Amino acid sequence: MINIKLNVNGKDYSLEIEEDKRLIDVLREDLRFTGVKEGCSEGECGACSVIMDGRIVNSCLVMAVQANGSSIVTVEGLVKDGELDPVQRAFIEKGATQCGYCTPGFIMAARAFLNRAKDPTREEIREAISGNLCRCTGYNKIVDAIEEAYRYEKGI
Amino acid sequence: MKKRGRGIGLSFYGTGYGNGFPDVSNAWVRLLKDGKIGVYVGGAEVGQGAMTAFVQIAAEALGVPHDRVLLEIEDTLTTPDSGTAAATRQTYNTGNAIKIACENFKEKLKEVAKDILNLNSTAALEVKDGEVYLEIFPQKRVSLEKIADFLGGNILEAEGSFTAQTTKLDPETGQGAPYWPYTFSACGVELEVDTITGQVDILKAVLVQDVGRAVNPHLVEGQMDGGYAMALGYALFEDLNLKRGVMGNRKFSKYLIPTSMDVTELTKIIVEDPESTAPYGAKGIGEPVMIPVTPAILNAIYDATGVRITELPITPEKLAKAFSDFEKEG
Ligand code: FES
Ligand code: FES
Repeated sequence: MINIKLNVNGKDYSLEIEEDKRLIDVLREDLRFTGVKEGCSEGECGACSVIMDGRIVNSCLVMAVQANGSSIVTVEGLVKDGELDPVQRAFIEKGATQCGYCTPGFIMAARAFLNRAKDPTREEIREAISGNLCRCTGYNKIVDAIEEAYRYEKGI
Repeated sequence: MKKRGRGIGLSFYGTGYGNGFPDVSNAWVRLLKDGKIGVYVGGAEVGQGAMTAFVQIAAEALGVPHDRVLLEIEDTLTTPDSGTAAATRQTYNTGNAIKIACENFKEKLKEVAKDILNLNSTAALEVKDGEVYLEIFPQKRVSLEKIADFLGGNILEAEGSFTAQTTKLDPETGQGAPYWPYTFSACGVELEVDTITGQVDILKAVLVQDVGRAVNPHLVEGQMDGGYAMALGYALFEDLNLKRGVMGNRKFSKYLIPTSMDVTELTKIIVEDPESTAPYGAKGIGEPVMIPVTPAILNAIYDATGVRITELPITPEKLAKAFSDFEKEG
């Protein structure tokens, strides 16, 4: 067992965990942030994407001890004062979700991208989400939603 | 060398179980305490948008806003059998069952309203906007809340059942009406192929889908985008690599599905030609959206290069080999 400290969605946690736990296990099992989805378990699908210290990571590929001391944002952490994040709003508005399994991962990838994007083109958006797989939507409505979220944030 | 080509694919697709098999959907509709309406069906939501379509169909049939319809699905304890979410059948079949159940439900509402309003019969009674009223003297009206109050603990409920009409094919002549309804689709693509590397780049794609009536155009488009991407993968990448029953490609790094970089923009055209046996004319499109895409891609490769591809997926290696064989043979 080993002690780690994590800040998840703005709250500090001190946890005693098995050394071989991955970040996704701690988030889902210990902290119950089940919005983090496990698709492939090997860094290929992006369903487990979370933002770690400002960068998008596959939480199935990060060992929990590696995350010690870092700040994590999961999809549960996006709602502020009961208000959906613009990305979440745009996903609903544009119908960017079908079965929904990939959705939290896409929303986090989009969030991380929009945090630094400037007038993104559709090509740039496609590239930003290319680490996330979706079997249902064909991606077009997801790209629409991310464009829309950018407009919400810029008030245009 | 890079070569460009264009191709089209056309398809018609029979929805439902077909071939005379009894294709049944059931629905229940119930008046709830607060005057809202419960709709109960066993049709599964798998991301295709069935829940949205069911609520829309019920709201339309009952003449109430969507937020007055409470849908319950998929729970075998509380819902009747509405068949599988397969064969592109839920909107058509279960949609029909819901519509029938709502119509039966309205008749039952009228019976109660007749008693509350002291009328001789249910003739000229209308159900609309959460009220039952007499068309020829609209001052006579009662809200669904009042009806629910009046009934107290008594449940007002109606059922609806729909069985699609198909006939078995005659084993001798092959004649019959094995499916109903059919949906029609067309796809056109323009692409560029590299005859050395076998790489295929789709430059432009258009998908046209007949849907009878688009209950929710947004969701129809979502299905078209999804079907197109799936067919693109089917044509160009997706290979289980089965060897003696063992799946060789068990990872997404081997079993490649298209990413957001592989799928190009898609022009989507929805064709609405209402189907007379369908709920508000709406037919299913879940599977059909995928079908014409692969032929269109293969036809475009042929148009670009003169090479006919007969094996899928047409990976860059296979395509490059097909080109060099073609050149050798002249
Ligand atoms: S579950 Fe982590 S990338 Fe697929
Ligand atoms: S919505 Fe089903 S995998 Fe993306």
